[in-house]
Amino acid sequence: MNGFGALFIYGAALGLAAYTLARRDTTFRNGIRRAVEQATIIMPRLVFALLGAGFLVTLIPTEIIVRFLGEESGFTGVLIGSLTGLVIASGPAMSFAIAAAFASEGASIPALVAFLTGWSVFAAHRVLIFEIPMFGFRWVRLRMLSVIPLPPIAGALAMLVTA
Amino acid sequence: MTGDAPTGPIDWAGLVRSGLGKSFWLFVAFAAIMAIVCYLVLGPNAFEDALGRNTELLTGVLPRVVAAQLLAGFVWVLLPRERLSAFLQRNRGRRALVIAAAVGAITPGGPASAFPFLAILAGLRADIGVLVAYITSWALLGVQRIIVWDMPFMGVDFSLMRFLIGIPLPILAGIVARRLPLTVSFEDHEPRRDQQ
Repeated sequence: MNGFGALFIYGAALGLAAYTLARRDTTFRNGIRRAVEQATIIMPRLVFALLGAGFLVTLIPTEIIVRFLGEESGFTGVLIGSLTGLVIASGPAMSFAIAAAFASEGASIPALVAFLTGWSVFAAHRVLIFEIPMFGFRWVRLRMLSVIPLPPIAGALAMLVTA
Repeated sequence: MTGDAPTGPIDWAGLVRSGLGKSFWLFVAFAAIMAIVCYLVLGPNAFEDALGRNTELLTGVLPRVVAAQLLAGFVWVLLPRERLSAFLQRNRGRRALVIAAAVGAITPGGPASAFPFLAILAGLRADIGVLVAYITSWALLGVQRIIVWDMPFMGVDFSLMRFLIGIPLPILAGIVARRLPLTVSFEDHEPRRDQQ
């Protein structure tokens, strides 16, 4: 993935560990404790969520999705783009590869905006790997319902801008 | 959850019980079913490829998640939680959504760092609109992702346009979340707090 994100996490974790140690009180121990408590809940679920999602991505025939999206235009294209973003359960490498392939086939910009917006806010892979293990189904349901209108709105705004 | 600094020994038995709770076994079942379907549909060779990629993914992501958990733990104990929580209780209007969206856009790192921060916000009893606005903004407008992914793949013009179009959307999602007749409790998904 991206080096900067990882660098930030490691650097900030080390920096705060050093800072809390230097305070010579219970701060370091309490921080470790909080981390251990959170991690014992999340890590076992995360491992199997990652494994399952990895197999799931392998099963989705992405070529079909790209072709299907590429033939559409107008607001129908925006809607199909939104729906496609919803079902792409993979990280940015796969999604941007698809978006770029789609763009090179002469896809409309609003459909691309809707696709990337849909993928960003629905993010089926993140839901499986992070959100359900950490926050539960009820949170996921509420968040999903809140972001449903966003991809078509983004696509419609893009239609206005590019018209 | 109380947000009090924990004292006393860690309740390991309780932690293991919640770690291996009901939803843990759902994930085990999900992984097993996906693996079996993958093997049956795509054959042993494709299955081995997928397994190899999965192992790479795991070894790549897990160290970052561990580091992010440590980071979130330290941030949790260092934050002036009472004051922040009071601030979040006082600012429940649109302004809170705007602030949450701005913070989401500049949160660096992938989901491994954004979701622990979302957990901190939830622990501070931020309202549901703030939580949705924050994570939507991180997903949609994350400046780091736009630089690393959007610009190289889609070009600068397209990326800027998508960013500008996206600016009002996290706030809109937060408003929708506040209006939905649904409630969320994070208690089930919080580690057990010591109650001694």
